[in-house]
Amino acid sequence: MKSDDPVTNETVERLCAQADLPLGPERRTRLVPMLAGLIAAANELSRKMAAAAHQSILPILRFPER
Amino acid sequence: MAQGDPLDLTIIEAAAQLEGRRLSPVELTEAMLQRIAKVDKQIRAYITVCDAQAREVARAAERMIQAGYCLGPLHGIPVALKDNIYTRGVRTTAGSKILSDYVPSEDATVAARLKRAGAIIVGKTNMHEFAWGGTTDNPHHGTCRNPWNPERFPAGSSGGSGAAVAARTCLGALGTDTGGSIRLPSSVNGIVGIRPTIGRVSNYNVVPLAWTMDTVSPMTRTVEDCVVMFEVIAGYDPFDEHSAQVPVADYRGELGRSVHGLRVGLIRDYSLTHVQKAVGDAVRAALKTLEGLGARIEEIAMPSIHGNISAQLTIESCEPSAYHQQWLRTRAADYGEDVRTLLELGEMYLATHYIQAQRYRSLLRKEFLEGFKRVDVFVTPTLPFTATPCGATEVVIEGNRKEDMLSAIMQFTGVPSLAGLPALSLPVGFDPDGLPVGMQVIGRPFDEGTLFRVGHAYQQVTDWHTRSPRL
Repeated sequence: MKSDDPVTNETVERLCAQADLPLGPERRTRLVPMLAGLIAAANELSRKMAAAAHQSILPILRFPER
Repeated sequence: MAQGDPLDLTIIEAAAQLEGRRLSPVELTEAMLQRIAKVDKQIRAYITVCDAQAREVARAAERMIQAGYCLGPLHGIPVALKDNIYTRGVRTTAGSKILSDYVPSEDATVAARLKRAGAIIVGKTNMHEFAWGGTTDNPHHGTCRNPWNPERFPAGSSGGSGAAVAARTCLGALGTDTGGSIRLPSSVNGIVGIRPTIGRVSNYNVVPLAWTMDTVSPMTRTVEDCVVMFEVIAGYDPFDEHSAQVPVADYRGELGRSVHGLRVGLIRDYSLTHVQKAVGDAVRAALKTLEGLGARIEEIAMPSIHGNISAQLTIESCEPSAYHQQWLRTRAADYGEDVRTLLELGEMYLATHYIQAQRYRSLLRKEFLEGFKRVDVFVTPTLPFTATPCGATEVVIEGNRKEDMLSAIMQFTGVPSLAGLPALSLPVGFDPDGLPVGMQVIGRPFDEGTLFRVGHAYQQVTDWHTRSPRL
């Protein structure tokens, strides 16, 4: 998903199917504008972190004891 | 005979009176329970009041003191615990309907440590449902309100703990902090709260929100009281896989040290940017006070600071949705609407979004560790605005532009959470409506001692922390 792809009802329906999360049409519609904002911001962060300058950075899942 | 109103005593003052037998644990606990009965219908800071148990424990604590035994500075001190912290034999709802009848068979490590130190648990505090939100507008257990103005929110998710301490219904409380849930309610309720370094305090038997960011810690009226509670709960716990084997420092020893020569960092275009005027003014004045005590202020660039809100929202969306996956499919209607929506949204991120957000944490931490070569602490406001009306989902920070509450509220508190750094919030003033303003002090990993030192030095020359709401 690219940030310039609009999040639509169909997008949410597809993601729900992928997650095996059965949501009715009313709930799916409610999620569309919120998901659009969240995904756009997440994609922007992803582009930043995918830059060559950051290629050696590892994810933190546990902090070192120092 | 007790000196002063027991409700106004700090932990340190109450402990001295208890040990000197000028005040008894029974008197002190009774004063707190009567205060809860008087004000909590309005504030809704508690989900469960443990009145019978608290009275029984207070009588036992009193007998021990009469026999010459004192378990330490928390012996006979009434405290409250956020309701996502397991308490053996006392229901632990996590602010939810789903766990509304859940009674744990064992304590959380932090609860057990407080009990062993002689603390008396007067109740379990209200919270945002499952800690996933910052308002404590709880649809199952009642809307928690701010003691400084009950029409305003107490923030969250540990809003009940913040309101309970501010309303003088307990002398200290425990909260949990994932993206700001201790510091936000500490700020808007005019009290002190610390988010510890991840691994410093055990999370064992605490209902999780986001495993890689969750922490537990005290909320009190003074920094000194915070230290007393922190010393009891900090330290390695073999039951918590993320617990750190790092020795616990002499935090009380730190309180005696001056801040002369301490280097305080401001993050360029961030620390004092995009905040309500009263908030900016109060934090600038607090910085002047620290300068007056001999601290030096330095501005530091941190190129990756922007992006933190997206990273926090991504991690705080995905991890709770993994924890709640089964309930969301079997008991969706039992969630409040806001939390249900956030849990649904958390299932719709891509794995790459989550991993890039976790990589961003490494980048942010690296920049902070670099910055700590030049300064000892960083300072920001705790949140960019003062308490909003209860029920508000938007907030105005500058001009007339309305912003989404969830993103706006984590402007400053998300950063230490992501970078795994400790951060202290302390009161530094009031806005023109009489609502408290908080300042956040961020420290090096496992250097909570310096944060306590800065906060205590500030409280020695200011009186914001001595003011109390009229209820």
